[in-house]
Amino acid sequence: MTVNEMAQEVGLKSLSTYEDRPVNGVFVSDMVSDVMAGAKSGNLWLTVQTHKSIVPAANLVDVSAVIITGGKDVPAETVELASKFNIAVLSSDLPTFELVGKLYQLGLGSS
Amino acid sequence: MADCQHTWEMTGITFGFVVFEKCFHCKDLRTYFTEEDHPYLGEGYREDDHYWNRMEAAQTFQFDLKCNRCGHVEPFRDLMGLLHCTGCLDDCPVNIRRLELEKDHTFVLVAFGFLPQAIKTPIPEKKLDLLTDYFNSRRDTSRSKIQILPFTLIEDLPRCKGDFIHDIGMLSQEPVTERKPLL
Repeated sequence: MTVNEMAQEVGLKSLSTYEDRPVNGVFVSDMVSDVMAGAKSGNLWLTVQTHKSIVPAANLVDVSAVIITGGKDVPAETVELASKFNIAVLSSDLPTFELVGKLYQLGLGSS
Repeated sequence: MADCQHTWEMTGITFGFVVFEKCFHCKDLRTYFTEEDHPYLGEGYREDDHYWNRMEAAQTFQFDLKCNRCGHVEPFRDLMGLLHCTGCLDDCPVNIRRLELEKDHTFVLVAFGFLPQAIKTPIPEKKLDLLTDYFNSRRDTSRSKIQILPFTLIEDLPRCKGDFIHDIGMLSQEPVTERKPLL
């Protein structure tokens, strides 16, 4: 399953411009240190953090997409930086817990 | 061990805080790692001729790299953090290098040691190469790569407005969207 397919299935809004790529598992954390230590290449990273520093963190561990949950507003500079890095930043109005449930039903688990 | 083609993994992961302190007398900056639950910001204290104030405490982690073939451990306790160059200074060697490498889909991060000791004894480039190799082993490098650069390339540290990859304001009720420059 690719990022675009997943986004369509669970009703996510694309914020940045990005290269579509396969999804490999889900990582949930609101701490960039946790992501740097534990996320894997191709993971979907679910977070409520919106500061632009999430973009270099996402890029460092090569996640396939960052999904901002809970309907949080994402600053324009975060979206611009993500587009520049070709990283998908998507948003969902759903709380993290509910979105994880939907992703799990699609067959995506922790990698 | 000398002939081993190392494959690295993180080990000894310790979560904690990097504390940034500034002397309001001489403007010196110092940083250190602590495993305190909640580093206290606010009141200053005197130490010899310095009057230190804790400016920021950022959640981060420390780790070592271990080769899962030969077991060799390369310690990285001298690594304070990784900084994302925001291109704030056009003539900064880091920014120049960043722009060159980005043409080749290689993205730079700047490795900082703890201050002030890392200014005299920076993290050896050989270790930064290991760190680069490690992060590149975690990604599909046909699409993009990472390059870790030494912070000693930054000529004008007090003017640097790069963003450290760490968490601040985690105890705030609202996510932090603005960050003050720390250097």
